[in-house]
Amino acid sequence: MFLEPLIPNNIVCHAMEAMILASIACAILGVFITRMNLSSIGVTMSHAAFAGAAVGMFLNINSTLAAVAFCVCIAALLGPLSDRSRMSADTTLSVLFAMSMAVAVFFIAYLQYTGKGMAAGNLLFGNVLSLYREDIYLLALICLATVLFIVIFYKEILAIIFNMKIAEASGIRTKPVYYALLFITAVSVALCMNIVGGLLIFVWLVTPAAIAYQFCFNVRNMFIVAPLVALIISATGVWAGFQYTLPISPLVAILFTLVFSFSVIFSLKRRVTSNKS
Amino acid sequence: MGIIDLKGIYTAYEGGDRPVIKDLSLSVDSGEYVVVGGPNGAGKTTLLESVNGMVSITHGSASVCGYDVRRQGIDVRKKAGYVLQSFYFDPFTPFTVEQVVLMGRYGRLGLLKRPGREDTEAVKKAIRAVGVEDLANKPIGTLSGGQQQKVLIAQNIAREPELLLLDEPFSNLDFSSREFITGILKGMAKNGTTIMMVSHAFDGLPDMRIRILVMNDGRIAYDGACRPGEVADIVRSRTVA
Repeated sequence: MFLEPLIPNNIVCHAMEAMILASIACAILGVFITRMNLSSIGVTMSHAAFAGAAVGMFLNINSTLAAVAFCVCIAALLGPLSDRSRMSADTTLSVLFAMSMAVAVFFIAYLQYTGKGMAAGNLLFGNVLSLYREDIYLLALICLATVLFIVIFYKEILAIIFNMKIAEASGIRTKPVYYALLFITAVSVALCMNIVGGLLIFVWLVTPAAIAYQFCFNVRNMFIVAPLVALIISATGVWAGFQYTLPISPLVAILFTLVFSFSVIFSLKRRVTSNKS
Repeated sequence: MGIIDLKGIYTAYEGGDRPVIKDLSLSVDSGEYVVVGGPNGAGKTTLLESVNGMVSITHGSASVCGYDVRRQGIDVRKKAGYVLQSFYFDPFTPFTVEQVVLMGRYGRLGLLKRPGREDTEAVKKAIRAVGVEDLANKPIGTLSGGQQQKVLIAQNIAREPELLLLDEPFSNLDFSSREFITGILKGMAKNGTTIMMVSHAFDGLPDMRIRILVMNDGRIAYDGACRPGEVADIVRSRTVA
């Protein structure tokens, strides 16, 4: 696709493109997720995708499609459940997480019993080396949809991030925007699971925004810095993975965490706090 | 018909097993200054949130700013400002005072429209009105509780509301700030904005005719008009412990 003129090797090219697109989409959504204190949404969605893909494999249907369907169902349940059960979104997420994990473990165990254990392992750890052009197209589409959504509904998203109740009191239609963001997160997570794996997707969703938060004093800058940081780290990770024959997704996840550690040490906010004390 | 017209309303929070507001009727005209008093748990905040449609009305009819609250709550909220009860924003909340006040204009702008010059002017005017112009570019979390409260009031002034609902707006303010905000509210009321305020502090009310509602157990126990100096006595005498 866009990197083919620069990277002649198809496998490397697809891996680089996929990792960059996944990183950008997840990092942008991560700003919303971290500022709304919905980090557990990443865990729940990734396990929902994991469960969906496992069910898909069991039923012999496209596992990505099944993962998307499962994630979308969880996203659709999440909002109304936390509204009606008078529980915090975090508690609802934990209940849905446990349910997804149980479904995933049940079907993975069954698949291992029937001799499909290896394929199920790819769901856990991802496989950036076996991507088709169609996978990249889908990722590009969700990445574009994420960027467009943030640009179009920027002021509503800002108000929701600031305070959901104040936004609602101001006459902003908070719920449709909030649910749409959950839906986009669900689809993004399901599509990225093939690349980074159900266990690591959480890093992509939370860490770039957490890094950006250390240096940004407004949300607009976070929306720019988080995907930029994610892009640079992912590209470096893919390059290093191929150069030194290392497992790519875990390597990128480790790089994210390393950069986060440095960002905390050199955080502008930490300096501000130290100066105040 | 008044700007607020409630007839026999019952309201309940989602999942709640009993109504918080019970068979309440109320009519408020444009430009009135209404103070709502009563003990904790009497339903004062719920009344405000029933008026702007944030809490579901299960029975009865409610018309506010010309809209049916039960079906057009979002339209009511575009016309009616609401200053919520005390908020605390942490020091790293990534929004400046100016951005927060501008958010007050988002609802009336509607989807897909960007704030324009008119909105920027309204924001500057509102920030000047509450006297925080020197803090405009500071993150809201670095301000004191009282200053944050003023910013939230400015956010609602920027909305140029027909009706302004305030829940304990003086809770974080010192006496001089109370007087200052009271002056602003009085000016808004004189320009035709209806003010409806839940408060336990009655020493900072404007020198004008005040309508007082005392609530008890989800119902209006007293509804009358008085001078500002009489409000505290009336609330005290009409409140059932």
